[in-house]
Amino acid sequence: MIQVFISGLFLGGVYALLAVGLSLAFGIMGVLNLAHGSMAVLAAILYKKTLVLYPFSPWTFCVLATPIFLGFGFLLHLIIVAPFRQLSLSAGVVASLIASLGVALILEDLFVWWQGWEPISTYITFPTFNLVGLKIPGLRAILLGMAAVTIGLSTLFLKKTDPGRSMRALAQDKEAASLYGINPGFTSMGALGLATILAGVAGIFYSSLYPLGPREGLDLTLKALFIVVAGGMGNLRGPAVAGLVLGFIESFAGFLFTYTSTDTVVYSLLVVYLVLKRGGRRQ
Amino acid sequence: MKPWKMFFTIIILTALLLSSAAFSKGYVGIFIFSLIINGTMAVSYDIPGRSLGLISLGHAVFFGLGAYCFGIAISKGLSFFPALILSVILSFVGALMVTLLLAGLKHGYYSLATLGILIIFQRFFETLESITGGSAGLYIPETISKLHCNLLAAFLLLATAACHVLFSRSRWGLYSKETEASEEAAETIGIPTQTVKILCLMTAAIPACMAGVLHLARTSYVSPVSGFSLTLSITALLASRVVPVSGILGPLLGVLFITAAEEVIWTKFEGFNHAWFGLILLGAALYQGMDFRRKKELSSLRSQLE
Repeated sequence: MIQVFISGLFLGGVYALLAVGLSLAFGIMGVLNLAHGSMAVLAAILYKKTLVLYPFSPWTFCVLATPIFLGFGFLLHLIIVAPFRQLSLSAGVVASLIASLGVALILEDLFVWWQGWEPISTYITFPTFNLVGLKIPGLRAILLGMAAVTIGLSTLFLKKTDPGRSMRALAQDKEAASLYGINPGFTSMGALGLATILAGVAGIFYSSLYPLGPREGLDLTLKALFIVVAGGMGNLRGPAVAGLVLGFIESFAGFLFTYTSTDTVVYSLLVVYLVLKRGGRRQ
Repeated sequence: MKPWKMFFTIIILTALLLSSAAFSKGYVGIFIFSLIINGTMAVSYDIPGRSLGLISLGHAVFFGLGAYCFGIAISKGLSFFPALILSVILSFVGALMVTLLLAGLKHGYYSLATLGILIIFQRFFETLESITGGSAGLYIPETISKLHCNLLAAFLLLATAACHVLFSRSRWGLYSKETEASEEAAETIGIPTQTVKILCLMTAAIPACMAGVLHLARTSYVSPVSGFSLTLSITALLASRVVPVSGILGPLLGVLFITAAEEVIWTKFEGFNHAWFGLILLGAALYQGMDFRRKKELSSLRSQLE
């Protein structure tokens, strides 16, 4: 039972990382980015392809690939955010939702064409250590620590740096932020860039722990979206905690029922939560 | 409805009805049937889509429910009409439960929950292997002729179109427009917003369930992936949005365009059908953004001239 708990903790760490990026994008731009999970899959594929050339560790690759994912984030902004900036809030959300779904579907086929149907697995061997009689897989523990550090650094970035403060100001009041000289277009581009970096790191960590199918991007996005709704949009702490909870639920559902029924249990709980909260904490 | 819109709507519906009777077999028969089923899905989707402004990513839940209820009834030995009646009752109950669950949600949350419900149904029907055949799907014998199936589907499309028109012209249609504009304001002036939403969503759900029944009756096969299909939901969404014409002409023209495009995509671009679908979605969204900007520029030009 404790082993299941630990497994849930590791999985929850990756989900938290994925959800934090999505929360950032929604909080600042009001964009439900359905291509967020596809960015994670893209990162996993890139890491797998790079491993053939040089055996980077997941964390080294995360650092090296940061500019690439920042670029992907900027590109995504040009496609799913910039064209709808002038629309009303609800029309803008719908248009960017449809556009990001389009991007996710395009990427899914491109991933299958690029790397085939085979699940992406970038597992590297790492020693397991004992802690009070419990077997702790070293790689998972390191990745969990890295996930926590990444979330911590993102929080620091948002709180202590000028671009981060601009992003938070934009999330609170767009008009007032513009009056203070903050460029909404540039700042939201930076926010989506940061969100994409977080998705990329989550994708690399996920594929190091579990096999990731080339068409699983939308599935990952959906889980992340539910975490964001449950944890609260626009903040980082809520989704991080909700991500851990989802990891535990998934792990325990797999342990108590069959592996195939985990999705049914998880999605049922999440829909019930959504309905009970009548649309999350902030409508 | 403007006369030209009514004219084209009647032309399209009559053409579909006549061609469903004339071509029931072969490739053309299947294509006409797909047009009619997609048309029913798009027109029914458009009822809450236009009046409540809700974007559902799980409209196929009702399609799958209808198909599975009918399939299970047939596999238990019932003949066509008793199975049809039973599946309509069962899917009505199922659709009501789903609708009651989702009616309280707004905009993005509604879209998200519908997508979640679609996945839940897909996985749930996969696990009920002894009744639903699991992920391999459910096969049923032919219960009615293809001609009768095409004709029933065409009449279903006509009935759905009539529901769309009647709903949008009734006081419930006006209530739903008010609810879309501002739910709080609508409640203040005494509109029962929850009842409006449930009625609107149920008006859309029942034709989708019936479409699922007829689709299974004609193709004899349904699986969790093909019944509770995200692609089908997106097709309905796209068809309803891609042509910026109000009323039922918009979704009808959208269906003609999307089904034809889908046919080309599935036959000519094997392996890239999702990508092409995605491109159409992206194009539709970008067009919406450009159209808004163009209208804004036009109105500012007009005000400058005045």
